[in-house]
Amino acid sequence: MQLIVNIIVLSAIYALLACGYVLIYRVSRVLNMAHGEIAMLGAYMLFTSASLFVGNPLTAIAVAVVMSLTIGVLVYVLLMRKMTGEMVLAAILTTIAIGILLRGLIVLIWSAAQQRPLEALGFSNPSIELIGGARISACAALMVIMTAVVYGGLFAFLRFGRWGVRMRAAGQNPLLAAQRGVNLNAIYALAWALSSLSGSIAGMLIALDSGLDQTMVVIGLKAFAPALVGGLDSLIGALLGSLIVAAAEVLAIHYIDPLLSDVVPFLVLIAMLIVRPWGLFGTREELDRV
Amino acid sequence: MTGTLLAIEKLEVVYKRSITAVQGITLAVEAGQIVALLGTNGAGKSTTLRAISGFLGLDDARVTEGTISFKGTRIENRPPHENTRRGIVLVPERDKVFPNLTVAENLVAPVPRGTSHAEHRRREALVYQFFPRLGELKTRIGGLLSGGERQMLALASAIVCRPELLLVDELSLGLAPVVVEDLLRRLIEIRRELGITILIVEQSATVALEIADYGYVMENGRIVLDGTAARLRSHPDIQEFYLGSKSGERRNYRDVKQYRRSRRWYG
Amino acid sequence: MSRAPRASGYFRTSYAQDLALVGTRLERTSLGVFILALLAFPFAASAFQLDLACQVFLACVGALSLMLLTGYAGQISLGHAGLMAAGAFTVGILFRETNAPFWITLPCAALVGALLGIIFGLPSLRLRGLYLAVSTLALHFVVIYLGGEYESRRGFSTGIVIDPPTLGGFAITDGRIWYFILLAAAATTLLLCVNLLRARSGRAWRAIRAHETVAEALGISIAGYKLLAFVISSAITAVAGALFAYYRGFVSVEAFSLFLTIQYLAMVIIGGMGSLLGALLGATFVTLFPYIIETGLLSLPGAQRYASLLFAVNYAGFGFVMILFLIFEPLGLVGIWHRIQSYFLLWPFKHRSASGSR
Repeated sequence: MQLIVNIIVLSAIYALLACGYVLIYRVSRVLNMAHGEIAMLGAYMLFTSASLFVGNPLTAIAVAVVMSLTIGVLVYVLLMRKMTGEMVLAAILTTIAIGILLRGLIVLIWSAAQQRPLEALGFSNPSIELIGGARISACAALMVIMTAVVYGGLFAFLRFGRWGVRMRAAGQNPLLAAQRGVNLNAIYALAWALSSLSGSIAGMLIALDSGLDQTMVVIGLKAFAPALVGGLDSLIGALLGSLIVAAAEVLAIHYIDPLLSDVVPFLVLIAMLIVRPWGLFGTREELDRV
Repeated sequence: MTGTLLAIEKLEVVYKRSITAVQGITLAVEAGQIVALLGTNGAGKSTTLRAISGFLGLDDARVTEGTISFKGTRIENRPPHENTRRGIVLVPERDKVFPNLTVAENLVAPVPRGTSHAEHRRREALVYQFFPRLGELKTRIGGLLSGGERQMLALASAIVCRPELLLVDELSLGLAPVVVEDLLRRLIEIRRELGITILIVEQSATVALEIADYGYVMENGRIVLDGTAARLRSHPDIQEFYLGSKSGERRNYRDVKQYRRSRRWYG
Repeated sequence: MSRAPRASGYFRTSYAQDLALVGTRLERTSLGVFILALLAFPFAASAFQLDLACQVFLACVGALSLMLLTGYAGQISLGHAGLMAAGAFTVGILFRETNAPFWITLPCAALVGALLGIIFGLPSLRLRGLYLAVSTLALHFVVIYLGGEYESRRGFSTGIVIDPPTLGGFAITDGRIWYFILLAAAATTLLLCVNLLRARSGRAWRAIRAHETVAEALGISIAGYKLLAFVISSAITAVAGALFAYYRGFVSVEAFSLFLTIQYLAMVIIGGMGSLLGALLGATFVTLFPYIIETGLLSLPGAQRYASLLFAVNYAGFGFVMILFLIFEPLGLVGIWHRIQSYFLLWPFKHRSASGSR
């Protein structure tokens, strides 16, 4: 039973992070390798705002949320916008570089020591007893709920039909989309803002649950495996992919070898790339008429 | 609708800060006309179209001199979606449809001027009338269409945007003549029923002069000749270099070597 | 691929001239002077500078192999660090288990690299671009995991120590000897790459990078040449890793993180894609970068306070420079160099007309 709870919690983490990758990929074909660092930055924002608004946790959270939206927009407007129209590889490398830059800046501003935003906020993280004797921490439970909320919100927004199609169109042929009246800058900025928000929520919750330090980037990196497994431009895929990868990881740690935790997502990824490179629900992208 | 819709004055376009592709051209498009821009490869025609629709930035090109005015407003170096909102829509030469969306989705994706749902639906119905073949192909993936169908879809998605000025880049490229004929007829229909002004860029002078009212000939970034379609069709130089016949007589290849000297428009 | 612009009067009128490495007299003299300077350097430099130069040469080998794969054949690989780790670990494992001398371990490293190259290269037959990059990244993590497993299983949790290579009973530890060894390694790699690119393989790779479907239609065996690129590149990378192991005398999994791959990618980008000169320039720049930052930082007033932040500043600065190059100068240092050359060649004209010569 505890295993199932662990799987659900881990899938929630992966799903929240994975939808950030999906949003940006869907709209611009770019794999945002800085997603982990942006999530981490969001968590540090929470820590700072918690220290600033002592005794006012709700304000602190609200400020942190607004900041994380701003980060996404800023990263797009200042840096990624210059890369529109360039090769996708160059854009991906730019995100890698942004990730490195952010990591360095974070250490410079906040130092590499572990922070505990939970205490700063004045909350506590009790362990809740569930049926079957399994335990889940309050923050982890909140994570699962937030994942459902975020995904619900995204589905509602994209189910408004036209803009979902337009986001995909912008991803496939940005030039043509612009020629057909789609404001590319606005759509990209929106995608980056939403991605940063969802990533930051994930980062904040992870930080609340288990402390905040540099290891969050690793989780961010591992999370793109579920995004790929499900199909990089499909939200449903991200959800399902997270479930599969989380299940594989938890079971492997439990039954085989705890050291496998960092490798398992990539093994699942390799398997999926061999069998079905575009993932479970992704759009097939091999059309290549000369 | 009368009056000059588009006026270009002494336009100069430079690529990568070092290559001048368009060297000071002046042309005008009257409302309701079909104007053709002719010329061989590398003459600067596509660059001109891109300058008008605002797509130079992506190729690291800029309008460095001259003006482009649409209905009296200067539009050079403006972002593309602004131009689309003004009513200038480009049907590009390559990548003209969304390859992984269905035909129906291709027509949903554009954001027409004055976006109201009802209006958008009406435009969609309209284009299905103009291109009934697309109606049969609603669920086909864009990338899997044949060349002619793709061109139809490209034109259709452009029309959904409610353009006042339609820019068509290389309509006939890679298409069979009978398909091109069909498309040309539809273009004329579109012009007649929707009152859209059309600027068409073509390497095939035969195709262009069939439907154009007025034409400009470009060479090496300059306009070397212009006139009504009738005048161009009967112009001996056009006939020799673009339409392929010197009043029907048989040619000896030895004579062709002299073509560079006998061109009359550099005089 | 970017060809250096030449003044008019220097035309290539035969195939031999086109393939020649140096054409004009200016090129010949400058190359000669450069070689002399390289050979004379160790006798005038301090031990620290010698070490820097050795690091640069090591980086050159890795950068050249990555440039071959990514810059010319167009196969994006994020698994570079994994391949270097494989080479280093081959040396380490062979040394620890069998005490093998370097003239066995180095070829073995190359062989391991080649084998891994086939594995890393297999996805390229089905995948392209982003998906290929991701598959190589995944394989990198697998290799690192295996290395880590070996370390923990055999009790080398802090890494494997390796004795310096011996030649006729004489251990090679002097900085100057290492300088020449690594210089020779870099030069050999450079010549190897140049020749591969001048030959049929080079043309095939460029065709594949430009447009795969068309290349296949022209009769180029896509699968064969892609795998060839991976195999050769990986073998060279593994040898680079092996040399690194011998030079440092130490092998551990932490040295081969994703950041190392990113550094090599930065070398290729900052240097300029599709140019061997770019690989060399990029390798030099990225290797020297941390030291430049360090000197810069320590020369500021109140330097002691910053010393602890050095690593973070390095990191941030590196990311920043990478971004600058990606956004403003995608053609890299080579692009800047060519633009300077163009400027002087075209002067007093500013632009070339589209119908003029190249």
